[in-house]
Amino acid sequence: MIKHVDNPVLEVHDLTVSYDRKPVLWDIDLTLPAGKLIGIVGPNGAGKSTLIKSVMGLTPNSSGYVKLFDKDLKQVRDRISYVPQRESVDWDFPASALDVVLMGRYGKLGLFKRPRKADRDIAIDSLRKVGMEAYAGRQISQLSGGQQQRVFLARALAQQADLYFMDEPFAGVDAATEKAIIEILREMSAKGNTVIVVHHDLQSVTQYFDWVILLNMRLVASGPTSEAFTTELLQETYGGKLTLLSDVGDLIRRERFPNREQFEKIPKGK
Amino acid sequence: MDTFFEFFSFADPNIRYVVIGSLLLTASSAIVGSFTFLKKKALVGDAVAHSVLPGVCLSFILYGEKNPIILILGAFATGWLSLILIDIISSKSKIKEDTAIGLILSVFFGIGIFMLTIIQKSGNAAQTGLDQILFGKAASLVGNDLIAFAVIAAILILSVWFFFKEFTLLAFDEDFASTIGLPVRGIELLLTTLTVLAVVIGIQAVGVVLMAAMLITPAAAARFWTEKITTMVWLAAIFGAFSGLTGAYISYIAPSMPTGPWIVVVISTIAFISFFMAPRRGILYRLNNQRKIKKQINDENILKVLYQLGEEEKNFYEKRTIEEILSKRKFVPVALKSGLKRLKREGYLKNDNGYWSFTRAGKHKGQRTVKLHRLWELYLTQYLRIAPDHVHDDADTIEHILTPELEARLEKLLNYPTMDPHQSEIPYR
Repeated sequence: MIKHVDNPVLEVHDLTVSYDRKPVLWDIDLTLPAGKLIGIVGPNGAGKSTLIKSVMGLTPNSSGYVKLFDKDLKQVRDRISYVPQRESVDWDFPASALDVVLMGRYGKLGLFKRPRKADRDIAIDSLRKVGMEAYAGRQISQLSGGQQQRVFLARALAQQADLYFMDEPFAGVDAATEKAIIEILREMSAKGNTVIVVHHDLQSVTQYFDWVILLNMRLVASGPTSEAFTTELLQETYGGKLTLLSDVGDLIRRERFPNREQFEKIPKGK
Repeated sequence: MDTFFEFFSFADPNIRYVVIGSLLLTASSAIVGSFTFLKKKALVGDAVAHSVLPGVCLSFILYGEKNPIILILGAFATGWLSLILIDIISSKSKIKEDTAIGLILSVFFGIGIFMLTIIQKSGNAAQTGLDQILFGKAASLVGNDLIAFAVIAAILILSVWFFFKEFTLLAFDEDFASTIGLPVRGIELLLTTLTVLAVVIGIQAVGVVLMAAMLITPAAAARFWTEKITTMVWLAAIFGAFSGLTGAYISYIAPSMPTGPWIVVVISTIAFISFFMAPRRGILYRLNNQRKIKKQINDENILKVLYQLGEEEKNFYEKRTIEEILSKRKFVPVALKSGLKRLKREGYLKNDNGYWSFTRAGKHKGQRTVKLHRLWELYLTQYLRIAPDHVHDDADTIEHILTPELEARLEKLLNYPTMDPHQSEIPYR
């Protein structure tokens, strides 16, 4: 069940991504509608984070292309926000919560320029939206996991983007924080923003998301939650590991087999 | 002492040059090094420092005299080359980065020493003093050299000033920096170049062998004192400059002494002091904090015992002997005595010829500890389904840490219960 839409906010065309030559995502074709709260769901090692990293240009693609708002990433960077996994940074960094949120303004500021008063106001406002205003001056290592996640969310809000990618925003947060975060995400999508979330917990999928992407090394389904989040498709995503696919990937790595780029020179119709 | 005043009056222009030079070199390497430190690339700095040696020697062999600009260019070239090689080796082969760093460092330094020996044996009169590059000599910072080094130091400081925001973001969250369109590769390249430049000019004062200490140690020491990156960089610069000044002074009073080791000894001392003395992060602070907690637990336990004794006899203000207290709970006698004295001093207990009794405040504090203990036991049995005979030890610890805010939440959650799981009354006001 892969549903395609007109005027997509994100178009992924025949995307294959490899780590150390081993393909972790195979030939993904995907279009996503604007203004929705979208969940990317799949088992561990399914390539969920890889998909959004690849869309954000953080991992080189072996083949295929990605269009955002029908343009290249470079042309629309200031309309897109990316929230990395919380564990991806060292929180024992000499910075306050406000310092981190201000980083969300750096893209708009450009090189050399220092944050202005207006940027500071936006950052404080973002902290207030996530209920962290009282912690603005707090050193980030002193914050709890849930609070750190909120700071990351505030940094994304400060970017004032139209499209948000979030890598596991609910990982390691308490129930109250999860509720607060999903409230904010709903508000954002109600305002017409598109929010794409890598998600782990199957229980809450129907409750949280309008649209769901089922992923396990390849795209299993993409569509409105009511249509795509079915027992049958979930079984296809989670059940029966694709050991053959994985073994072929391992073989490619072991043999230092040519990359996909060289592959493409072979005429189509393989 | 005379030489001390002579030096620090800065009357002699030569002294002034050396001082200004040392301050600039050490401060600018500390500033650039702050970001090397935050990016956790300390070892890379060491590799670069050792790798500039063959460059210096090679440019001397080719040019035939000690021209600072030429030497800087040579040092810069091999310093840079070493970084590129480390990068290539760790990304293109099975060898991990730490191995690549060790490999490059020793190979480059080995070649450098080899060339240096050849130069020294060559009998070229111009080579005298070239060996000072190993351990540094601040006193040779005069004339043209100084101008060249000062210009580079100024470039370093200005670059960091201009790119402060970008360097900070890159050190904290590189992926995010890349997604907002920051030219990550370019800025990384710039920071690397600055690191190499800092090493190249720093070796004049510190020498190649110990240069890494000048990059990293000031920042590491400064990190203990602050949670703000701007303050940290300033502090690192000040620490670096202070050690540089000491190096210049040593160089002045003992001309045959290499300055590098002295500078490193001073900056390491600062780092050690920071390690022990700094508030919050320092060892002494933590030890002291531990001791305070221990005392608090001890004292609260004494009050708790007195309260429990009062509860049994329904008389809270009765006078008690030490033996009575010990019959209820085991204390280390010394700790009990000092605890009792402290509680008296703080106004929680009264002492009458060896008999101890509560003041009002003391009874209240003892009551609170007992209350928290029983509330926590109840919480554990009700919410964690732990058997009533297993909750006592947990509660014995938790009763000392609960804040008034948590206390209120606990009371509300349990709906102001009156009995704990062992049917003891939970005492409210």
